[in-house]
Amino acid sequence: MSSNKVVAKDAILEDVLPLTQAAYLPGRAYDEMIAPDGAVRPHYELLQDRIASLGAEELGERQRTLERSFLLQGITFTVYGADSATERIIPTDLFPRIIPAEEWAKIEAGLTQRLMALNTFLADIYGEQKILMDGVVPRELVLGAPSYRRDMQHLYVPHGAYANVCGSDLIRGEDGEFVVLEDNLRVPSGVSYMLANRDAARRTFPGVFRQANVRTVERYPDLLLATLKSMADWRSDPQVVVLTPGVYNSAYYEHAYLARLMGAPLVEGRDLVMHDNRVFMRTTSGLRRVDVIYRRVDDDFIDPLTFRRDSSLGAAGLFNAYRAGNVVMCNAPGTGVADDKAVYAYVPDIIRYYLGEEPILRNVETFLCREPSQLSYVLANLENLVVKAVGASGGYGMLVGPHASQKEREAFADALKADPDNYIAQPVIQLSTAPCLVDGRIEPRHVDLRPFILSGEKVVVTPGALTRVALRRGSLVVNSSQGGGSKDTWVLTEETRP
Amino acid sequence: MMLARVADSLYWIGRYIERAEHVSRLSAVMLNATLDHTQGAVQTGRIGLAALGEPDSGRANQTYEAAHDLALDRTDSGSVVVSLARARENARQVRDQISTETWERLNLLYLRTTGSAVERAFDDDPPGFLNGIIADLHLFKGAADTTLSHGEGWRFLLLGVHIERAQLIARLLEVCFDVGKTPAVTEPIALMSVLRMACALEPYLRVYTADINPRYILEFLMFDEDFPRSIRFCTARLQDLLSQLSREAGAGRGDALRLAGRLDARLKYADIEEVEATGAGSLLAAVAAECAAIHEAIYETFVAYPLELSLPA
Repeated sequence: MSSNKVVAKDAILEDVLPLTQAAYLPGRAYDEMIAPDGAVRPHYELLQDRIASLGAEELGERQRTLERSFLLQGITFTVYGADSATERIIPTDLFPRIIPAEEWAKIEAGLTQRLMALNTFLADIYGEQKILMDGVVPRELVLGAPSYRRDMQHLYVPHGAYANVCGSDLIRGEDGEFVVLEDNLRVPSGVSYMLANRDAARRTFPGVFRQANVRTVERYPDLLLATLKSMADWRSDPQVVVLTPGVYNSAYYEHAYLARLMGAPLVEGRDLVMHDNRVFMRTTSGLRRVDVIYRRVDDDFIDPLTFRRDSSLGAAGLFNAYRAGNVVMCNAPGTGVADDKAVYAYVPDIIRYYLGEEPILRNVETFLCREPSQLSYVLANLENLVVKAVGASGGYGMLVGPHASQKEREAFADALKADPDNYIAQPVIQLSTAPCLVDGRIEPRHVDLRPFILSGEKVVVTPGALTRVALRRGSLVVNSSQGGGSKDTWVLTEETRP
Repeated sequence: MMLARVADSLYWIGRYIERAEHVSRLSAVMLNATLDHTQGAVQTGRIGLAALGEPDSGRANQTYEAAHDLALDRTDSGSVVVSLARARENARQVRDQISTETWERLNLLYLRTTGSAVERAFDDDPPGFLNGIIADLHLFKGAADTTLSHGEGWRFLLLGVHIERAQLIARLLEVCFDVGKTPAVTEPIALMSVLRMACALEPYLRVYTADINPRYILEFLMFDEDFPRSIRFCTARLQDLLSQLSREAGAGRGDALRLAGRLDARLKYADIEEVEATGAGSLLAAVAAECAAIHEAIYETFVAYPLELSLPA
């Protein structure tokens, strides 16, 4: 019997995990697999049994097989050197992260609630701006945000679905509760890694996978296509395309992957031709009308006529065609204003304002440096806080107080005082940890959770997620641009197969 | 209907893999020939290098170095590794349009020829290394044949393969049999090497028996209807492919087709006696020039066509 396997915390040894050089010792963070009393959490038992029956050598072999298959499939990004370019795979870990059904039910309800509120918020601020008039969110915070697009004012967006694809970042604090760290409503990426990780995990632990009763994520591409098609409500069988910045973009693999699995052409800006405020693509048999563009190009680069003039990634005149209602862009331009790091602090109020409900998922406590009282608190407590630039993402432009030197903190304090509007601060949260295979040993590493939510005619939360992993011991930064990796995420159904 | 850019990339994948295969084969034949210290071996080296654009090379005696560079020199735009990298780069651009099986074959080949172990793999067994690349390219073509739809994209891929092949074979024959410019190749070992360079030795033997004769070689590699590396075979395919593609793309797009049809007719009705009497040089040069013109016409017709012609009224 493997249930109720209780081991003293400092004695989790051979009988729990096969690799003992560093017995698996979670720190003070919540661990996904091991409870504080040393017991293996019930939903991890099947996996733990399997890990224990495989030796270190076999696990290492499976990890290498996994990496080879990623390389072969081309799930890579390119590192450009002086005169050569090398392909690297996104680091990926073979052990799945497992989420029980009841925890997922809350996440699903919380994310649905949140995205509905945020889409309503976007429709409001690009419409009547009632929430600003009612003073719930400060007017200058929204209208002054760099991601606010005045060109979007009073445009019709089908179903009010501004953000069709949302990738929210959730984390689990020390108390084990999932909270929302960030909403990504612009061009969130990572869903192809969710699918590739799943494909790999099914091959790495086939028996466990079958027994554990894992919910399927493989329908994501067709659900995405249905969402995109539902945005062209004037046409029965709209032509959908995926717009990519091109092969040199770090997420190109994902763009090609989604296009392939949706059966939609993968176009670049240079393939598009504007005529009479309509969008065409250049095919071998002439020009072909385009109705829906799933664009994986940032707002700034979509259309040099409306946004950044020096961009060659989009297509000149695209926004006019959009404004004329002849083409739909997904996500809509200007959605970034709702995932702005300062607006984030108001999301619980936004949910209450539009839906009259309490938020199901909490926010992380956030200090807005634009408020003088909060700024002085932040300056006095820099060593305990994470400070983030409002406009930046990907782990750039941030200070992790406890890990920074006195000098770095002082430099950041100066920047804060010079431009307080541009910063927010949050307490340092010990992200939960999950077991990872690192240099032949199983060690806890901090993880977050990025589920993907689709919103068109209706809202659909994919029952799975990308779990991002901070691969350096003790690191809390999971971004792939900062040495992060990923692993598969198993959402379990209610009952486990006997 | 497919994106013009995608058609262009598929066409170039075809050209680059054909080029990679040809260069690998020529290098392997050169290396193999030099195991014997004969006059034929030196001639084989000269032919191979000349056919790849090094006419007066002093390296005919240094086939190992020459083959190494032809295979692995990243600064040489004609090398095998560069062709494979370009084919793969094009495949990456149209990754959504080609099957996983096809992509993985090409990606594997790319990783193998650009990985850190490649120099050692070549040094260990140069002909084995080159023949391995050829075998992998055959696997790629086989995977493409059995997993891709044989529709428009497939036709652009084959278009690239056959236009490249026609040019490469024409160039090889020019080097050997354009009597006005080069000394005639008469040495039997060298003549057999020429057949090997076109992967044609065994099919040739079945038609002409072991009578290794320049006239027959020329006839076989220029005019045979069934051998896939004869120029006539390639031009017939070009005409077929372009006639289907033009039909699919709609009327009034026939420039490439017209040129391909004309070239095919010229080979189809050529008279070997006459070609022998006047020298093969002029016909071979015409093949090269016509292929270049067809290449331009394909681009103008399907990829970079003027927009005014295709805008809706």
